Amino acid sequence: MTDAFTTAGFLALSGALLALGLFGILTRRNFILLLVSIEIAVNAAVLNFVYFAAFAPTTAEALNGQSAAIVIVALAATEIAVGLAIVLGLNRLRGSIDVTGATDLRL
Amino acid sequence: MIDTEVLGQFAPEILLLAGTLLLFVLDRAGALRRELFGAVALAAILGAGAIVLADLGVGFLAPLRGIGAAVVDQPVGASALYGFSSLGLLFQGIFLLAAFLVALAAVSRPSDEPGAAVFYGLLLLATLGMMLVAVAADLIFLLLALEITAIASYLLVASPRRDPRALEAAMKFYIIGALSAALSFFGASLLYGAYGTTSLRVVGHSLPAGAYGDLAIAGFGFLLAGLAFEVTLVPFHMWAVDVYDGAPTEVSAFLAGGTKKAGFFALFLVFVGPLLLVLAPGTGPAGTFRGSLDLTVALLAVATMTVGNVLALFQSEMKRLLAYSSISQAGYMLLGVAVATAPALAGATFQIFAHVLLKAGAFLVVAAAAGLGVGPLVSDWKGFGIRRPALGVAFGLFLLGLAGIPLTVGFFSKFVLFSAVVEARGWFVWLAVAGVLNSALSVFYYGRILRTMYMETPPAGSGGAGVGARSSLAWDGLGYGRAAAIGIAAVLVVALGIDPGPLLTAFQSAATHFLTFGA
Repeated sequence: MTDAFTTAGFLALSGALLALGLFGILTRRNFILLLVSIEIAVNAAVLNFVYFAAFAPTTAEALNGQSAAIVIVALAATEIAVGLAIVLGLNRLRGSIDVTGATDLRL
Repeated sequence: MIDTEVLGQFAPEILLLAGTLLLFVLDRAGALRRELFGAVALAAILGAGAIVLADLGVGFLAPLRGIGAAVVDQPVGASALYGFSSLGLLFQGIFLLAAFLVALAAVSRPSDEPGAAVFYGLLLLATLGMMLVAVAADLIFLLLALEITAIASYLLVASPRRDPRALEAAMKFYIIGALSAALSFFGASLLYGAYGTTSLRVVGHSLPAGAYGDLAIAGFGFLLAGLAFEVTLVPFHMWAVDVYDGAPTEVSAFLAGGTKKAGFFALFLVFVGPLLLVLAPGTGPAGTFRGSLDLTVALLAVATMTVGNVLALFQSEMKRLLAYSSISQAGYMLLGVAVATAPALAGATFQIFAHVLLKAGAFLVVAAAAGLGVGPLVSDWKGFGIRRPALGVAFGLFLLGLAGIPLTVGFFSKFVLFSAVVEARGWFVWLAVAGVLNSALSVFYYGRILRTMYMETPPAGSGGAGVGARSSLAWDGLGYGRAAAIGIAAVLVVALGIDPGPLLTAFQSAATHFLTFGA
């Protein structure tokens, strides 16, 4: 198994994850499932960092990628927490977490 | 392993963080006066501003030198994570100016509103994120700073917790922000795969010209898309109108005048700064890549200014009209990225600075007018200029400035930007032509507002409580915070419109340094 083959394979995997996440963000109507889609899309980047770090020629380079992955995981968690706060607020006001129900502002 | 020298360099940011934490604690302390929270926030912003200006070499602040960034525009011993360029420090000043105007105006929000301390805390936190963007030299550092700003701004938009419109705007903003972050992170991960580092500085310095491949091109593409959401480029602009419309108007002023500008500095860092120095325009694959990148950004710029202006023509609501105008202005600023010469970069920075004053000022007048009982539609503004002369003149100045009429700062910023674009070379001239044509187009809708304000009389019996009550006192019913913020913005618009000299020189030398920083 050559290096080029594994790189292409991994990029296909992370690209598919990203596409899946973006598709979910654009089509999901339930806010909770939308948050799940966001998480999937962000994790595509995390996977890339971990993969490229695993094949890095030097330790410094590997650490750079691994630390980036950890930072992004933490950021994604923060983002989801804020998202949940917004869901709770909306649910309290409307009794629904359906994204399409929010149409006071027309596009 | 905390180095006091490093901490000292981040003195302005630490001050903002301390202010944030203090405000969050004060929120638990119970009912205190809104003015107190405002004073804490303003003190932190002014303190940070003084340190930044001292670092930039402003004479009368000389005693403060040495507290903040000791070394500016010096690649020697620079960290791979962050660095202090004079352009970055100027942007920090711009961010602090936006935060200052908004914090001052927000003192006049209704005092029975809950969560004033949290509002100010989040404002400082968002500003902190923007300040960090301005000193970033690493992709992860940059995206982390952008995310701090974004998370604080989602919550700022949602700060009227009982208002379904604000929460809906926050939800849309959040979804788009998360999408943008996911794309940016993915782009950064591909660039890491291509270059083996996330440091923009290391990439810019250590790689020979042309060291790029498909991975890097894809990485740049994803980053461009992610950041395009941030700065509302067409076709990634749809969210901005809804968010600016639904958010509390002071927050709209902050988003249009402040956080969007952080996205522009991020674009400068990634697409103009050290990174693309290795890809000088010319022949060979690197030159071709640079050429197609320039073309892409130029097309985005023209599309953004045109779509923003055309859609603004058809808006009947004031906040939505200003939002579309804000989108079109982003197109002008993007010209600086497309052309990427020192004068064009200086022009774009000047345009960004002018836009902070003009757009934040305009939104703050809209907030003040709403407080006086003026409705959301443009037609609700009939006779406003006659009945509230001072506010009318200020609003008129901001609109004329946005249109680029002489004797306002908006004229000089557009003049400097467009002439730099013409000077650049070749087909860039057409960008300047597109910009000038768009400016002419924008005069129609700004002029329409002015006509409504001054030439039309409100229908008899409509009796808008505030508009109907003619007042000779400029600040009557406004609240001193709003009056002061609008006044300061208006005075700066005129003063810098008459003589932008020292500021323009600073932008030009900073842009030159930025392009050669460490190269």
